[in-house]
Amino acid sequence: MNASGHLFIADKAFLAFDFAKTGLAVTMRKDQEVLSAQQASRLLMAVAAKRDRAAFAVLFGFYAPRLKAFLRRSGMTGSVAEDVAQETMLLVWKKASYFDPARAGASTWIFTIARNARIDRLRRDGRPAAIAEAFDPSDQPDEPVSGEQAMIVAQREERVRTALALLPPEQADILKKSFFGEETQSEIAEASGIALGTVKSRVRLALGRLRQILDDLK
Amino acid sequence: MIKHHPSDETLFRYANGSLEPGPRIVVAVHVGGCAACAARIGEFEAVGGSLLHDIEPDQMDAGALDGVMARIEADEADHAAAAPARRLPRADVGIRLPQVLDDCGIGPWRWIGPGVRWSRVTLPDDDGANVMLLKVVAGRRLPEHTHVGNEYTHVLKGSFSDARGRYGPGDLDEADDEVQHQPIVDKEGECICIAAVEGQTKLRGFFGRLIQPLFGG
Repeated sequence: MNASGHLFIADKAFLAFDFAKTGLAVTMRKDQEVLSAQQASRLLMAVAAKRDRAAFAVLFGFYAPRLKAFLRRSGMTGSVAEDVAQETMLLVWKKASYFDPARAGASTWIFTIARNARIDRLRRDGRPAAIAEAFDPSDQPDEPVSGEQAMIVAQREERVRTALALLPPEQADILKKSFFGEETQSEIAEASGIALGTVKSRVRLALGRLRQILDDLK
Repeated sequence: MIKHHPSDETLFRYANGSLEPGPRIVVAVHVGGCAACAARIGEFEAVGGSLLHDIEPDQMDAGALDGVMARIEADEADHAAAAPARRLPRADVGIRLPQVLDDCGIGPWRWIGPGVRWSRVTLPDDDGANVMLLKVVAGRRLPEHTHVGNEYTHVLKGSFSDARGRYGPGDLDEADDEVQHQPIVDKEGECICIAAVEGQTKLRGFFGRLIQPLFGG
């Protein structure tokens, strides 16, 4: 398939998608390459409520290529990243009913599913990895969420974005890079010619600064 | 009132999935009862969400969506539910364990020294992880020791103290290799903790040195 392959699939899905039923704004153009958080949430809820395949195809068109890129950045080869990205999207379908926009944004929720799928894959491949199911917000039964808590969670994503933007660029950079994992920290050390211990202490400093900004924004 | 929490680095590694299985379950026990740490992890996971949303996309294989849709159809046609999860044996350790541990195997208490017992915790999909419950009688002083690698000890019942403070139910003690301490279990009653060490290295920490021979070290 050529470079426009997945866009073509997404196009078809957009055409087939029942905008009226899910309340999606009709301003969403079929060539749109970015899903807003609200759009993604509504699509997920359509998948949960109606097993809506067209909504799922739109989510797939947006998230699968990003999941693959994310997983590659975390150290997986292209074919394994492809496989785990597909696996993640299958889990998105299966678990859609657990998605609660009062608990996490769509991208954050999908990220946690990918993280756990990655942990499972590494474990199956016999490499030391973490246990995925230990505490999985994507999988938690819905306890009642208070109005106050729902608002806090809704604001969290925006607060995190703002905080990342407010971090000094080099601190934001090292945090983003180290988010992809331990191996990446060694790569950062190698690429920048500084000791791994120095990278770790810079990550610590950046996290401290992030915490400060996040708490100030509350 | 929880006074001792995992470090931000640990919560960050929890959120990005790089914390090892043993420490991960101990941190999960803490987070299950600590709204502040759950919120912090939520923030760090939102960092992941933001990175995912903004990353330059890769090209998926041709037919990837069709393949996933076919698997969805196959799953839905196949009404047979997934095989029930393997039930691991669970000994009664005398306290109600946190829900997070529901799928874990729990071994019986075993004596490892005067006033100290341990029980092995087996993770459902990773029986190599070194996680254990520890039970120490009231007033018992433990040998002074340091650690190799981070050690995570979460108090389930009772309390212990060392030079850094007092650790009660809900507190998580994250001790790195620079911590040298001699914990004493408080006089009011026995203390039960869940503990894990980082790294595939042998257990040498808090109670680990006592237990090490039992793990085949």
